[in-house]
Amino acid sequence: MTTDVSERRVGATGAPVPPPPRAAAPPTVTTAIVVATAAAEHGEPTATLAWEDTTVVRRLVEQIASVGAQTIHVLVRPDGAAAVERALGGAAVSLERSDSPSSDLRTIARIARESTGGLLVALGDVVTQREVLAGLAVDPRVATGALATVNNLGRPTAPRIRSARGRVVSAASPYHLVHRPTATFLGVLKVGADDRATFAGVAEHLATLTAGPLPEGWAEELDRKEGMWRGGFARMAARQSAEAGDARTAGLLEVDADLDDDAVAGPEELAPERPEDIVLSEADEAELRRRVAVAPDDVTSMLLAGLVRSGTQVAVNHLRKLFWARTLSAADVERAATDIQRFDEDKVLLDSAVKAADGFFTTFFVSTYSKYVARWAARRGLTPNQITTVSVLIGFAAAAAFATGDRWGLVAGAVLLQIAFTTDCVDGQLARYTRQFSKLGAWLDSVFDRTKEYAVFAGLAIGYAATHADDIWALAGAALTLQTVRHQMDFAFGAARQQVIGETRHPPIEQPSDRVGAGARPPAPEGGSSAPARAVVDAPAAAQAVDPPRPVSLPRRVLGLWRKLDRWPGMVWIKRMVAFPIGERFAVISLTAALLDAKVTFIVLLAWGGLAASYTFAGRFLRSVSG
Amino acid sequence: MSAVAPPAARPAPLVVYRDDGNFSNAFGKFGRRLPIPSIVFAALAALLVVVPALVGAGEDVAIAAVIFAVMLGGLSAGRAEEGRFRWLVPPAIRLTEYGGLLWIGAVAGGDGLPAAFALLCALAYRHYDLVYRLRHRGVTPPQWVNLAGLGWDGRLFFSAVVLLTWDVVPEGFFIAAIVFGVMFVAESVAGWTSSARGQRGSVYEEEEDEGQ
Repeated sequence: MTTDVSERRVGATGAPVPPPPRAAAPPTVTTAIVVATAAAEHGEPTATLAWEDTTVVRRLVEQIASVGAQTIHVLVRPDGAAAVERALGGAAVSLERSDSPSSDLRTIARIARESTGGLLVALGDVVTQREVLAGLAVDPRVATGALATVNNLGRPTAPRIRSARGRVVSAASPYHLVHRPTATFLGVLKVGADDRATFAGVAEHLATLTAGPLPEGWAEELDRKEGMWRGGFARMAARQSAEAGDARTAGLLEVDADLDDDAVAGPEELAPERPEDIVLSEADEAELRRRVAVAPDDVTSMLLAGLVRSGTQVAVNHLRKLFWARTLSAADVERAATDIQRFDEDKVLLDSAVKAADGFFTTFFVSTYSKYVARWAARRGLTPNQITTVSVLIGFAAAAAFATGDRWGLVAGAVLLQIAFTTDCVDGQLARYTRQFSKLGAWLDSVFDRTKEYAVFAGLAIGYAATHADDIWALAGAALTLQTVRHQMDFAFGAARQQVIGETRHPPIEQPSDRVGAGARPPAPEGGSSAPARAVVDAPAAAQAVDPPRPVSLPRRVLGLWRKLDRWPGMVWIKRMVAFPIGERFAVISLTAALLDAKVTFIVLLAWGGLAASYTFAGRFLRSVSG
Repeated sequence: MSAVAPPAARPAPLVVYRDDGNFSNAFGKFGRRLPIPSIVFAALAALLVVVPALVGAGEDVAIAAVIFAVMLGGLSAGRAEEGRFRWLVPPAIRLTEYGGLLWIGAVAGGDGLPAAFALLCALAYRHYDLVYRLRHRGVTPPQWVNLAGLGWDGRLFFSAVVLLTWDVVPEGFFIAAIVFGVMFVAESVAGWTSSARGQRGSVYEEEEDEGQ
């Protein structure tokens, strides 16, 4: 596919866009619903706000069409229909007139029942990059998923979610609250073909609930949220004046890359005790009014909450380091237009192609340059699977070189192994960069990684036996056993956690709180300040955030202390190194084999691997006993 | 919420990862009736193999230990999905199996250990494939492969009782490595090319905390 170089498509901003996924991966989303019902202050729908030489909604519709949706429905209020139609400027969509959130939900249910294939539901005033939508829509590994971020967006009104092991376990809506949220939902939801019927049922049920008087506690929850948001705006303002900088964008750019959301639950989101006493600046007050006014129209978060409560498996699709905003006013658009300029889409896409939680060696010695190899490969039109295959062939060559057993063979093997490892990183980065995900690719990548590693073990043992009086097959077998057992423990631990999440009972959607039975009440108001989860910039006041006191078991306390260690500089990297991930393993093999001999290689692999096994075992043991 | 029918029974990962054969299926039924968590049996099985192997016990001990380990490991099949420490059971079974095969290879002498290593490579392919197939496609291998593969218990028992007593461990292991290797790889590759679309895979975890 060398023609890709000349045929490279150019995006709306003039930046080169990576080649679209091959035809082999059919678009998983065929139908999209854009919810353009929220009204701005001047009465026109927010989606009709001007964006450069187009409009917010038209830009979004074009982006959605470009990621594979063939049919796009746009939900409008009858009095906003004409404005939206004008704003769409003749884009091929079908307008659906609907006069209330309840009727929106009913329309969405109808479309879901009538369509085939996957479905994308998005708020019409979302401004983001095409690649964000592509990441959600095209990835075949995500059947049903919600676009979310763990970054501090500086937007206290965006609905929060709690996730565990890549799955949404609780979601807020205007009427539903989440205890200890970990991330923010960004108004874009993908529903896999297999979940469409469930989704339609959820939408119909929500339509019934929102048609008449709201169920008990819903209106109160929305009031509570208003107070909470008021507190959020006040905190943000305090922080901004304290830093004399723009905390909003600062928070956006200095993203917290730690996505291991299983370990830490965020603090409880509490409303200040007397929110009405908080005086906001005029601009913030207006902003809060706008957000509160459109909250009941946010059917995407209601649908997400409904899906999660119905027990549907909803994956978290991370925004990573790309841009997102919900624009409700011309001022919002202006700010978004400035902020989005700071994102060099290609650079950000390339940076976020690097796995966020990779090991030390991989992050600092491989990913720094392998991403450029990935970009080069993308421009040559190479596929991730081709790179994977090249990588395993180089891995076999390394094993063959090791098998000679002589010094130059060991040195050559060490070098080849590092090349194989780099190409192995490239395939994943290429897949993420070009959104060429496939189930086959993921499987090939995993299987070939193991094949390479164990082939190298065999090569080292053969080479040693050929050049020494004794042999090291027992050590090689022990190293293989240790590595396989460690992986089995990882897999089984993950499966056990998923089992727990899958069996978690959810309260019915009629209940605002996400807790079953006792503790179903919303968190009590608290003295004024609570830190937003994982805030990048902590306000001095937020440091005083107090969690509701509750008995803490010894293992839990040990785990808490262990996590606190992460605040020390470099501690996170040390912990990741101790776990002996693949980059460190391959570095150990290359260094010890090239400089010393294969026996040392296996002894180091066994010693470090044994330490890693004990370390991960201890952590999981504590988590298991702490419940 | 209208009652949503649960999806068709999905294979349970913690059961699939074990790679049980007929011995374990039989012992598991018995183990199910005992009020003892599976980790107790699985950990005992692993210790029974690893400790004497590390101190260099001989052939008779190996045969006896492996037979008892197969029984204990089989008992742990009964409550594979229960207990706080259920996630330790599949790795304990793997340790029992691989450790046992290496021990048998060691006491057999000759090319026993390289042959055991070759066999472990074929088995490792199988065990990673079980995980990745379930994760990426939501399916398990067809029943004939599971039967022909004998299960971890069948392989261990056969190696100790037949190969070791007849003194044909290196030959037996090399042949098993080739036969199993070809069978496992060919079937899993054929599975990918033939099935257009499996069930939904397990949740795709963007950030896995597993050392990859």
